[in-house]
Amino acid sequence: MSQWLAKVIDRASTVKDSLSPVRQTALATLSEQSWPTRRTEAWRYTSLHEVAELELQQPSANANAEAPVIAGLNSIDLVFVDAQPVTDIAKLTLPAGVSINALNDADSQASRVFNQAKPSHHLFGLVNDVLAQQGLVVDVAAGAQVEQPIRIVNFVTDGVESHHRVLVNVGDNAKVTVIEHGAGNGHSMNTAYAEYVLGKESKLEHYRFAMHGENAIHMGGSHFKMGESSRLNSTIVGYGSRLTRIDTDVIHAAEHAFAKMNCIYLLAPKEHFDLHTTIEHAKPNGTSEENARGIVGDKAKAVFNGRIHIHRDAQKTLAELNNRNLLLSRGGQINTKPELEIYADDVQCAHGATVAEIAEKELYYLQTRGIPRSQALVMLNFGFVQELVNQMPNKALSEWLQPLLRERFSAMETK
Amino acid sequence: MMLTIKDLQASVEEKTIIKGLNLTINPGEVHAIMGPNGAGKSTLGYVLSGREGYEVESGSIQFENQDLLEMEVDERARAGIFLAFQYPVEIPGVSNMEFMKESVNAARKERGEEPLSAAEFLKTAKAACKQVNLPLDFLKRGVNEGFSGGEKKRNEIMQMILLQPKLCILDESDSGLDIDALKVVADGVNSQRDGERSFLVVTHYQRLLDYIQPDYVHILADGKIVKSGGPELAKEVEVSGYAWLEGHEEASA
Repeated sequence: MSQWLAKVIDRASTVKDSLSPVRQTALATLSEQSWPTRRTEAWRYTSLHEVAELELQQPSANANAEAPVIAGLNSIDLVFVDAQPVTDIAKLTLPAGVSINALNDADSQASRVFNQAKPSHHLFGLVNDVLAQQGLVVDVAAGAQVEQPIRIVNFVTDGVESHHRVLVNVGDNAKVTVIEHGAGNGHSMNTAYAEYVLGKESKLEHYRFAMHGENAIHMGGSHFKMGESSRLNSTIVGYGSRLTRIDTDVIHAAEHAFAKMNCIYLLAPKEHFDLHTTIEHAKPNGTSEENARGIVGDKAKAVFNGRIHIHRDAQKTLAELNNRNLLLSRGGQINTKPELEIYADDVQCAHGATVAEIAEKELYYLQTRGIPRSQALVMLNFGFVQELVNQMPNKALSEWLQPLLRERFSAMETK
Repeated sequence: MMLTIKDLQASVEEKTIIKGLNLTINPGEVHAIMGPNGAGKSTLGYVLSGREGYEVESGSIQFENQDLLEMEVDERARAGIFLAFQYPVEIPGVSNMEFMKESVNAARKERGEEPLSAAEFLKTAKAACKQVNLPLDFLKRGVNEGFSGGEKKRNEIMQMILLQPKLCILDESDSGLDIDALKVVADGVNSQRDGERSFLVVTHYQRLLDYIQPDYVHILADGKIVKSGGPELAKEVEVSGYAWLEGHEEASA
C-alpha cells in the first residue's frame, strides 16, 4: 500500500454522512487492495508512482468560478471548484420533473444510485466512494422530457486534492442530457466519478469533457446501468494532462438496451491518457457501438483498453468496437487492446484497432496549395476526429468544441 | 522572366535524376515538356514544388526574381506556383470545400486581401465546380476521397481555377482520361490563359497538346532537355516516338 492510499483510508474514517453505511462496504474493499504496479493488468501501461507520494491540500470552502459560456446551449449550470459547490442549488429554476440535490444532503436518496452502476474493482472509484462528500444527486421523474441540458462543471486548482461524485437517476420513459465538464491546469489531483441508472425506455444523452492541463492528475469514470429498452448516447473528449485515467462501464442489465459511445482523446507532448471501457452485455438483445479515436503528440502516451463481455444469456447481442489512433511523431506511444469475452453463441461482435502515422504525402499536398505546415497538421487532425464530433447530437456543444480543438491541436504539435 | 532554371541537377534517394537542365519561361507562355518514362518529367514538377526528398545538388531556380530554392512548399504555392498532380492524394475527413477555402484564403492573405466569407467562397467554388463538370456534392466530400482518376484530375483543375496561380505545372494531367474528360481538363486550362499566366505542361503523349496549344515544346531525356522547338516537335514525337533519342544521344556524345 502506498503512503497516499494509507492516508486516504485514515481520512475515510472521519467521513460521516447519510452515505456512511454504503461507504463502509467500499472502505472494506479498499483496505484489501494492494497498490497497483506494472504487473497489475489494469495498470500495465500507466504508472502510479507520482500518485503514491502525493501530498496536496484539501480544498477550501470559499471558491468562486463561472461556467464557460456556450452559445445556444441554454443549460442548467452547476459549478464546482475542487469539488466544492459554487452554485446555490436552491436558487435554480429547474424544469418539471427534475430534482437536484447536493450529495451530502440527507434527503438526496443518493444511496439509490450509489454504486449501482460503478463496479467495485476501480481503485480510484473506491477512493471516491470513501472520500467524496461533494457532488450532486439528480433525479429525473418518470416520463419527464427534459430539453434543457444539465451541465456540471468542476474546475481544479493548484495544490489541491479533491473528490467529486455525481449520481443520476433517469426514470422510466424519461429523457435528459447531462454534461460532465472537468477543467483546470493546476498542480492537482482529483477523482470524479459519475453513475447513471437508466429506467425502462429512458433516453440519456451524455457528455464527458475531461479537459485538464499538463499539471493535473485526473482519475475518473462514467458508469451506466441500462434499463430495458433504454438508450444511451455518450461522447467523451479527453485531454492527456500529467495523468488522466478514465474508466467507463456500460451494463446492459435488461434486454433491448442500446448504447452508443464515442471517445476522442488528444494528447499534447509528454501527456499521459488512459481510457478503459467495459461493456457488459448481461441480458439478450442488447446493442452497443463504441468508437474511440486518439491523436498522440511527441513523447506522449495513450492507453486504450476496450472490453466487451457478452454473458452466456446475452443472445442476439450486437456489439461493435473500433479504436483508431494517429501518432504525430515517432516519439509518441499507443497501447491499444480490444478485449472480447463472448460466452453466448448467437451474437454479432466486431472489433478493430489501428495505429497510423501522420501521412507526409497528405501534408505535402495541402502545402502545395499554400496552406502552412502547422495549419495543414491541424486540418489533418480535425479530419481524423471530425466524424465523431459531427455525431454529437447537441450542435451547440459541437460548435463550442471546434475552436477548443483547434487550440488543442496547435498545442499538440511538436515545435 | 517568370521562371529561370539554370544547370539544375537534382536527385532522389541519392540517385541523380535531373542532370543539368536549363529552361526559361516568360509570362503568358505555354511550354510543354515531353519525354519517355523515367526521363525525369515528374521529378521536375516535384523539385519546382519543393517536395521533401527531392534534393537539388546544384544549379538555380529563379521565380519572378525570387530564389525558389530558399522557399518552403507552401511559400512557393502562395507565391504563385501550382502543381496539378498526376496522382492526387486522398484525404478522408478533410472536406474538399474546407480544404479549398483554406488554400484560397492563404493565397488572399499573402496578397494582403481579406479572407472570403463562407458564402462568398461557396459561390466561387460552385462556379469552378461547374466549369470542370463536377457535381456540386464533390465540394462536400473528403479531398479526392473515392474520386475516379478523371474526377481527381478535374478536381486539380478546379483548384487551379480557384487559386489563380502565376505558373501552372500540369503533371501528366491527361493520363488515364477518356477524350471527353481530356477536353474538360484542356478547356479548364485554356480558360486560364490570359497572356500573363504561364504553363508548364508535362506529358508523355502528344494527344493533350492537340487541345492545349503550346508555344514551345521541349524533349526531356535522361534528365536533360535534348531538343526544343515549336508545336511541330510534338507532332514529330507522335510519328516517330522516342526511339530516335538513343541515336540523338550517341550523336551528341
